[in-house]
Amino acid sequence: MESEVNRVAVTSLASVPNRRKPGKDASTKISRGKRLNLIGIIFGLSAVLLASILLSLSVGAIHISVRSIVAAILQQRPLTETQRTILLAIRLPRVLASAIVGAALAISGLMFQGLFRNPMADPYIIGASGGAAVGACIGIIFLSQFSVVGISATALLAFVGAVITMAVVYSLARANGRTSGVTLLLAGFAVGTMLTNSTYVFELFDPNSTTGTRIVAAWLHGVIAVPEWPQLAITFTLLLCTSLVAYPLMRRLNTLALGDEYAHQLGIRVEVARIGIILVGSLLTAIAVSLGGLISFAGLIVPHVARLLFGPDHVRLLPVTALFGAIFLVITDTLARTLFAPTEVPVGILMVFLGGPFFLYLLRRTRREYIL
Amino acid sequence: MNPLLQFVDIGFGFAGRPLLDHVSFNLTRQTCAALIGPNGAGKTTLLRLASGALPPTSGEILLDGQPLIDMPRRQRSRIVALVPQQLDVPFDFTVQQIVEQGRAPYLGLLRGPMREDRLAVERALHLTDTTYLRNRVFNQLSGGERQRVKIALGLAQEPKLLLLDEPTQNLDIGRQVELIDLLDHLRKEGITVFASIHDLHLIPKNFSVVHLLELNHSLSSGTPQQVLTPERLSQAFHCPPSRHPLLHQESL
Repeated sequence: MESEVNRVAVTSLASVPNRRKPGKDASTKISRGKRLNLIGIIFGLSAVLLASILLSLSVGAIHISVRSIVAAILQQRPLTETQRTILLAIRLPRVLASAIVGAALAISGLMFQGLFRNPMADPYIIGASGGAAVGACIGIIFLSQFSVVGISATALLAFVGAVITMAVVYSLARANGRTSGVTLLLAGFAVGTMLTNSTYVFELFDPNSTTGTRIVAAWLHGVIAVPEWPQLAITFTLLLCTSLVAYPLMRRLNTLALGDEYAHQLGIRVEVARIGIILVGSLLTAIAVSLGGLISFAGLIVPHVARLLFGPDHVRLLPVTALFGAIFLVITDTLARTLFAPTEVPVGILMVFLGGPFFLYLLRRTRREYIL
Repeated sequence: MNPLLQFVDIGFGFAGRPLLDHVSFNLTRQTCAALIGPNGAGKTTLLRLASGALPPTSGEILLDGQPLIDMPRRQRSRIVALVPQQLDVPFDFTVQQIVEQGRAPYLGLLRGPMREDRLAVERALHLTDTTYLRNRVFNQLSGGERQRVKIALGLAQEPKLLLLDEPTQNLDIGRQVELIDLLDHLRKEGITVFASIHDLHLIPKNFSVVHLLELNHSLSSGTPQQVLTPERLSQAFHCPPSRHPLLHQESL
């Protein structure tokens, strides 16, 4: 019996030369983004952001040249009183708001795409935006005068709405201690759509039906209003704080890309990491919704393009997508208010026409690398 | 020295269906052990129990002399690594980025990768001969390359025990032999290897112990010569000895 076992086919195979050696071409192929220096990228993108903000400030009903704005900043030649008012009271707050909205949407899109391991996820599609919209509508129509420690009731309710929605969606998708990515996306889509449309109900109960309704309608289309400076300061601080909190979560997202079970094996508390990511993502969504209403697709496009250019490492992607998103929305919002001047197109509508075709392109292109 | 892994009277059932019943065995340090058995006998489940991914319904698993269930998750992740059958990765992560995730048990929320982490990744890539693949996109690799990268990911954890779930599946005979030799090389490096394997002809040369898991939920162990006999294989796999793959070729 022993001799029989020893005379196995393996002995003859063992003489086959094994360990294929690397080809030359393999080692010379360098990954996308690896050779680009991260610090350099961040500086470059910051410069582009600054340039687009300056450009956006100069265009509008009354043209103020970039040169005169720069001269005024450098305190060489002051602007006229009208120009000052237009810039400081109207254009600058709005441009900064669009930058904050863009950055917040892009980071939350990045987090949700990483969490669901799917390039099609964004705060709009998984329902966080819908929840934030309902919360914000309640705030606009019933509690527009209230604020808690400087944060408007509208913004606060937007956050509560986003978090509650994500909690509901998450628990709907959870069965037998596991969460399915497909179910999560579909549940999020259904809940989000229901919530977005249910905001029309508020118009019926609106006490002062002219202004409130108009604000709500504008919100649902996604219009970046001209915010008050304190609101801008608070949302910007919130954006910075959440980005700092998001930073360690980015490494978790890299590990979660291997799948829940593998991440668990690597000693990660998968559920804790997930809930943290959902909370931060919802807060970022609420920041964006409180300033600009429902803007779809921005959170989808920006992380995707950033990933194509700089690779999928979330730690690197965090600053890159934030800056990218800010630039993208500053430019889109400038187009929205100047393209058909004096009429203004809601930036959300413009985004749909940009984002819709891009989404379909994604759908065609990434079919093979789908992982749900 | 005590065994690295001990299963003491382990029972496990899933959805009311028993999979393992009073299973006991030990893994001796720095050996290569094979786990064989028919489809559905519970090989993957047994490996997941050993990795701590699943808790047993009854009995006790001891890893490095300590009850696995009481072990902090990070400490556990530094002792045992499980190389799964399938690793699906979204997005275009490179091989190096994937293997770096094996350092997760050593990193904190705010502690990024340090020198020793980079060295461990280099070592894992070197041991599996995947250094030249480091900048390639994982999803674009061939089956054999992918398998070696998965092992590198496990090795980046610097485990004492490496569990592998059917590492030779879907590989051609050349890559199978390559992989089995790699496992033997890892054993010489001081790692205990426990792999489930369907390609029985690969076992006698490189594995010193074989555990046979049968459909009746029981496990028996022995040397390859004791376990890989025509009688036991035909009984366990319900397959007549004349059809056994390459093991008993001369009887054809």
